Amino acid sequence: MSTAPLLEVTDLTKHFPVGGGWLGRGAGRVHALNGISFSLHAGRTVALVGESGCGKTTAARTITRLYRPDHGRVLFKGEDLASLSGTALKSARRAVQMIFQDPFGSLNPRLPVATIIAEPLVIHGGVDRAEQRRRVADVMARVGLDPRDGDRYPHEFSGGQRQRIAIARALIIEPDLIIADEPLSALDVSIQAQIMNLLKDIRDERGLAFLFITHDLAVVDHFANDVAVMYLGHIVEMASRESLFAHPRHPYTRALIDAVPVPGAGKRPRGRAIGGDVPSPIDMPPGCPFHPRCPRAIAACSTIPPKLNPVAADSGHAVACHNPEPEPAP
Amino acid sequence: MTRYIVQRLGESIIVIALMSFLIYALIALMPGDPIDLMINSDPRLTPADAARLRAVYGLDRPLMERYLSWAGAALSGDFGNSRLHVRPVLDVMPGYLLNSVNLMVLSFILSVAIAIPAGVYAALRQNTRVDHVINLLCFAGISVPAFWLALMLIILFAVMFPILPASGINSIGGGGFLDTARHLVLPVATLTVFSIGSYTRFMRAAMIEVLRQDYIRTARAKGASENRVVWIHGLRNAMIPVVTVIALSFGTLFSGALITETMFAYPGMGKLIFDSIMGNDYNMALVTLLFATAVTLAANLLADIAYAWLDPRISYDGGGQA
Amino acid sequence: MTALPPTLPARAADSGLFTLFARRFREHRLAVGSLLVLCLLATLAAAAPLAEYVLGLDANKVDLAQRLAPASLAHPLGTDELGRDLLLRLLHGGQVSLLVGITAALASAVIGTIIGLLAGYHGGKLDAILMRCTDGVIALPLLPLLIVLAAVDLTKIGLPESLARDADVSLYRMVVIIALVSWTTVARLVRGAALSLREREYVLAAVSSGAGPFRIMAVHILPNVVSPIIVATTLSVGNVILLESVLSFLGLGIQPPIASWGNMLTGSQELIWSAPALVFWPGALIFLTVIAFNFLGDGLQDALDPRALSR
Repeated sequence: MSTAPLLEVTDLTKHFPVGGGWLGRGAGRVHALNGISFSLHAGRTVALVGESGCGKTTAARTITRLYRPDHGRVLFKGEDLASLSGTALKSARRAVQMIFQDPFGSLNPRLPVATIIAEPLVIHGGVDRAEQRRRVADVMARVGLDPRDGDRYPHEFSGGQRQRIAIARALIIEPDLIIADEPLSALDVSIQAQIMNLLKDIRDERGLAFLFITHDLAVVDHFANDVAVMYLGHIVEMASRESLFAHPRHPYTRALIDAVPVPGAGKRPRGRAIGGDVPSPIDMPPGCPFHPRCPRAIAACSTIPPKLNPVAADSGHAVACHNPEPEPAP
Repeated sequence: MTRYIVQRLGESIIVIALMSFLIYALIALMPGDPIDLMINSDPRLTPADAARLRAVYGLDRPLMERYLSWAGAALSGDFGNSRLHVRPVLDVMPGYLLNSVNLMVLSFILSVAIAIPAGVYAALRQNTRVDHVINLLCFAGISVPAFWLALMLIILFAVMFPILPASGINSIGGGGFLDTARHLVLPVATLTVFSIGSYTRFMRAAMIEVLRQDYIRTARAKGASENRVVWIHGLRNAMIPVVTVIALSFGTLFSGALITETMFAYPGMGKLIFDSIMGNDYNMALVTLLFATAVTLAANLLADIAYAWLDPRISYDGGGQA
Repeated sequence: MTALPPTLPARAADSGLFTLFARRFREHRLAVGSLLVLCLLATLAAAAPLAEYVLGLDANKVDLAQRLAPASLAHPLGTDELGRDLLLRLLHGGQVSLLVGITAALASAVIGTIIGLLAGYHGGKLDAILMRCTDGVIALPLLPLLIVLAAVDLTKIGLPESLARDADVSLYRMVVIIALVSWTTVARLVRGAALSLREREYVLAAVSSGAGPFRIMAVHILPNVVSPIIVATTLSVGNVILLESVLSFLGLGIQPPIASWGNMLTGSQELIWSAPALVFWPGALIFLTVIAFNFLGDGLQDALDPRALSR
């Protein structure tokens, strides 16, 4: 990849204060995001994978500046979203749209769906009403909704249809990048595949870049080019989809992959589940965040935080581990 | 907890300081000033005399400067003289305060003694005729203009059926416990009607909320007697919000006392506030208004502390509520 | 529902919600009755000039020969201590009470909504400061403060003498000072709602699309807090009328010759022996109006509150 990436996230950090305190002075901090870095090229899809609470939603919201980062840069088309504000931020947001997890919560119940879908157009202006209506009808048809349903309200639609509405809203302004935060997990399994295929088709026909956030590695296998695995606010492993699934190097990634049920191969083919619970992000363990649960932990793991380093065999594959899984035989 | 109380105390002191300035400024904006009053009472004073007098009393100085010198004197315990009573303000207040305490405490006890059983009963008989009647009476109590209620009571019990005195605190030349008690009946009744409606409604709402909780169902399922469920498990938990609301309503009670005392010519704090404002008794108005503010703030503070104390789920020392 | 023609379902859904609301409201018989009473009162008050024309009288015309006249054809409810027609003054007083009550309640709803939205949506330090102010205002002894505010000499804050002494100005003054102290309920309501709404994903979706704070508040937050605002405002009309009437009664509110139910009772302590009816009517009408607004608010609350469904 010689061209500059579309999105380049460097050392992004976000902590939340915990507890009350007068005039908002907090008593502790949640370390939601501890310096993550990755890049995403135009037309490609990166999946951010991890258990709930690992900071992947915070990552999505910090990148789109729903949260103000404490530290780090978010270069999008060469502009640092983390430091923009006012009209500059607004115009940058035009090219980045979000799809949220809960299709019941992400649509304003008081607005008809045509108004919801048209909102990005209205915000960024420059389109007259007739054109607006035409584009709403187009995009509704594209995501598989009946354009004549535009004046109905969200509560009249099913979960899958609502997620189509959310996708239509993200598409209408023709963004370069869509950040989808668990867009499938609130849907029935039977609906998930339909929405998955819709997202894939749209991505392929429009050459969109996707940052796809999920806890489900099975979904990643269908959709992503590259995968970043997150644990407690850190990226612990990053690789192309093929490389990651074929040769996971981080014990946590390995455990996640082992936990994916493979059809026809019994429940857990290589069954190596991880014991213990995810530590509290308020009292972070020293050293590697995963060491209290890690089956391969060595002495260094509890004291020295591992850095994300490329593995020898594959320059696109990086892992943050003092004692990674052995390299595949060449 | 201690940290929370200290912090709230600090805030209350700031509010009182701000209020003292606000009230000072507002009183300066009321019609006339002390010199106007002197001119009115002594026609020989010329405008030149008035200007000289204003300079002597410092009334030509800017508001902030005058306020600061008043506040300085007040902090050292000198709140000035009352114009109407021609005595130091602090000498006049205690007698009036005592009368108000009598009136308010009596009415408070009476309204709580009626409101709690009535509210609980209505909650237990939700949506029955009794509940509707209690609800109707509550709304009537909340909606009746207190001054008109006082007038109606006077017409009824002092004019049409002259069995009770219409005003004052003692008969002329009279006295004694019975006489004082007779004078208290109508004011206490008025003030009680003023506050009882909202107390009963809060009690009813809190009780209904509590009776829906799981631990009440558990207590019933365990076979606890209905009386025990209602009075031990139910009422104790329902009292938490009710205590807060009642303490928070203290400011309203003050307003009610002002109307009641004015209507019945009852010499209490409310009447003292009203008379001093209407009679251009600036020092008295300032101090009584500030006193009312301080008492209301203190009641609110106590309400919050009581709430924290009664409900162990609430932590006020920061942290632990992520 | 999908079988219906395309434009119908939206209206059906809309009217569906509305029918649900209307049905639940109608179940509240006291509220329905109150609404009718208020409409009747408003109509009668508005018809005061017509009544003056029919009776050939002027509500403010003093006729000392006709002092405290009993009810008659010429004066259906008799006259007051200055020989003015009681019925006409009651109707005019109704205009004033309803006008001041509704205007001040709306004004305080606007102030409360703005403060609540700013505090709840913006959060942080601004929220802390605004809420301290709200707590401060709530902690003030209301009536004494209103009395001071009502007694302020308007010429001392730069109003011309002629204006400051104008009776009409007393109307505006009532609205302003009552609105200044009664916005806190709505402010707390709106702030609480805004605090929770701003974390909703549809608000985040709008923010991430580039919507500014003004658009977020106007399009995404306000429409979702309208119901509690309506309820609180309806309930506060009753309160405002009570405050206005007591201030007017004390001689600090609406100034004569403008009639208000409160100032019609000023000095009535001297009439309790000679003309108790003069004392009865204005207060009874205040009572009726206030209780009607309170029942109406209660009914609206039950009808608009989604939790009421489960009760």
